[in-house]
Amino acid sequence: MEAKIVVTDLTKTFRLSKKQQRIERTTESVKVAVDHLSFEAYQGEIFGLLGPNGAGKTTTLRCISTLIKADSGDIYVDGHGVRNEETEIRKRIGFLTSDLKLEEFFTPNYLFDYFARLHSVDPETAAARKADLFGKFGIDRFAEVKVGELSTGMRQKVQIALALIHDPGVIVFDEPTNGLDILTAKVVTDYLRELRDAGKAIIISTHIFSLVEKICDRVGIIVNGKLKWCKPLADVKASGTDLEQLFFDLVAEESREDSR
Amino acid sequence: MNAIWTIFKKEWDRVIKDKRLVLSVMLLPGLMIFLIYSIMGNVISDFTAQEPGQVAIVNPSAGFTALYSTPVWGEDENGDPVIVFEEKADVIAISVAEAQTYRDRIDAGDWDLLIVFPENLEADLAPGYQANIEVYHNQNETQSATVQSRFSGYLTVYAELLRQTVYGETDVLMLQTDSVEYDDEKAMGMMMSTLLPMLVVMFLFSGAMSIGPESIAGEKERGTMATLLIMPVKRSEIALGKVLSLSVLALISALSSFLGIISSLPKMMGMEVSQVLAIYDFADLALMLVLLFSTVFVIVGLVAVVSAFSKSLKEAGTLIMPLYLITIVIGITSMFSEGAVSGWWFYLLPMYNTVQSLTAILLSDSLAPWYVLITVAANLAVTAGLVYLLTRMFHSEKIMFAK
Ligand SMILES: Nc1ncnc2c1ncn2[C@@H]1O[C@H](COP(=O)(O)OP(=O)(O)OP(=O)(O)O)[C@@H](O)[C@H]1O
Ligand SMILES: [Mg+2]
Repeated sequence: MEAKIVVTDLTKTFRLSKKQQRIERTTESVKVAVDHLSFEAYQGEIFGLLGPNGAGKTTTLRCISTLIKADSGDIYVDGHGVRNEETEIRKRIGFLTSDLKLEEFFTPNYLFDYFARLHSVDPETAAARKADLFGKFGIDRFAEVKVGELSTGMRQKVQIALALIHDPGVIVFDEPTNGLDILTAKVVTDYLRELRDAGKAIIISTHIFSLVEKICDRVGIIVNGKLKWCKPLADVKASGTDLEQLFFDLVAEESREDSR
Repeated sequence: MNAIWTIFKKEWDRVIKDKRLVLSVMLLPGLMIFLIYSIMGNVISDFTAQEPGQVAIVNPSAGFTALYSTPVWGEDENGDPVIVFEEKADVIAISVAEAQTYRDRIDAGDWDLLIVFPENLEADLAPGYQANIEVYHNQNETQSATVQSRFSGYLTVYAELLRQTVYGETDVLMLQTDSVEYDDEKAMGMMMSTLLPMLVVMFLFSGAMSIGPESIAGEKERGTMATLLIMPVKRSEIALGKVLSLSVLALISALSSFLGIISSLPKMMGMEVSQVLAIYDFADLALMLVLLFSTVFVIVGLVAVVSAFSKSLKEAGTLIMPLYLITIVIGITSMFSEGAVSGWWFYLLPMYNTVQSLTAILLSDSLAPWYVLITVAANLAVTAGLVYLLTRMFHSEKIMFAK
């Protein structure tokens, strides 16, 4: 299997303002959000990044999708490096995260055409893909409703459709089922499986165990910016514990190491 | 290239498809100015109408008197209806000997205007004849100046009438005013050149201010900018697409304000729109348009850079305010200068160069095209610099994702 995403020794720190220091209750002016992280994601699999709040999942995914720059370490997406081939990566990646927002004034229909043009998708292909994606997620009926007037769930589905506008080979979804009811969540997870079977490399991040157990082939558990475990899901079961217990053990281990 | 157009189109649609924005960006500026100026104009004309002014004329001729009088039906001594002229001003006829007394009274401020016609002007009129007319008033007295400017208007018309009787001879009336040489177009040019540059930069700026922060700081604050930044397009294309569309929109907004002024001019100054426009020929208007376009780029570039730097829409508004005030102050400088400055290097300074070039165009300065040329070159260079800066800012994680 071909490694589509290769993350090596990724480190990302944030400088904290005085205000942020107060909020985070720390006197340190630098926050290490991701700490020497390395992993790979392969074509035709769903890789899950599992971690508690503030573990550094979103930060990792933002670095992969070139929204922010890593302090050190390397990331390659489909053979292209984040350091000097940002545009090539952006062409190949479908990124979903909660802090990428859509303009509320426009309709899903308008935005689809707009982003298709920015991705240089030719109009016919775009129209076919729009029909397909809007049909799959039930967006058709809301195609002419302003994004600002859509429900959270519908908005999330529109986001997903727009992230897939250019039929990317690599899919990076941060908490894809957040805020969705179980019916809608199922539509999304089913579709992710479909995309995997079509040969895409998929990374999702989540703190929901059941989601990982349901759709992921491999899982990386990330605590405090460090990757504590990275193996096929089958290995968890083989080791005699369940994912939840493993997770608690790793968190406990990390907090012992951290306080030392 | 394609991406620039795509982004341009989206920014355009954002405004054009939003009735509220169309109203506030494109229609209201012009409408508000029209209303304000018309009200101002009415107040001014009421003010002047109240006091007709005191005018003494030596050798008044019937043709001239008719100009400032309203024809009404009256009766002659037999009781038959005739047209008589009702005078609007308090005009008296005096003799040549009395003229000096009135000059003194005007100096002292208790009389407004003295006009001295030669004897038998209309009777002596023939080709080759030249008449000297003295117009005496006190510039330090508002009332005197107002009456003078009104009667100068009548004199211009009167000269025109006389000209026709002598088959188009042009020098038939020589006007002699006590200070300023009387010239209708020049006066109008002066009036426009003092006010207009300030108004123009104000309008351009407020047009840019009403949409720029929303499109950049607003998008940043709402997280829609991040969505744009992960698109496979150059950041410079994003910057250019935004600056270009915002410029066109700001220009439309400024034009709306401009139309507001033009259409309120008749009330404001008692002149027809066509009269005002007739002073400037096509070349002048073309120069103005080029000038305005280059200026709007600079303004939008500035507003965009400040907006990109701001964390929120509110912060952008706060940071842009001082720039707006500085621009107005620069605009006001045109009010106190006599004509445009002549050093070419002044035209390298953005905003100031616009104000000065505009003054030059309005005063029909022969160097105006050169000033505009330098101004446009300087403005384009500054815009390029600002777009470059904006691109750099779009690349900066610290600026774009500040928390
Ligand atoms: N721009 C930023 N400035 C300062 N600190 C940041 C910034 N972005 C993230 N952080 C910090 O980095 C750490 C990791 O954040 P991140 O969003 O990656 O966590 P996460 O695993 O996605 O958490 P969650 O499950 O809550 O989404 C957190 O402590 C967060 O406060
Ligand atoms: Mg997160």
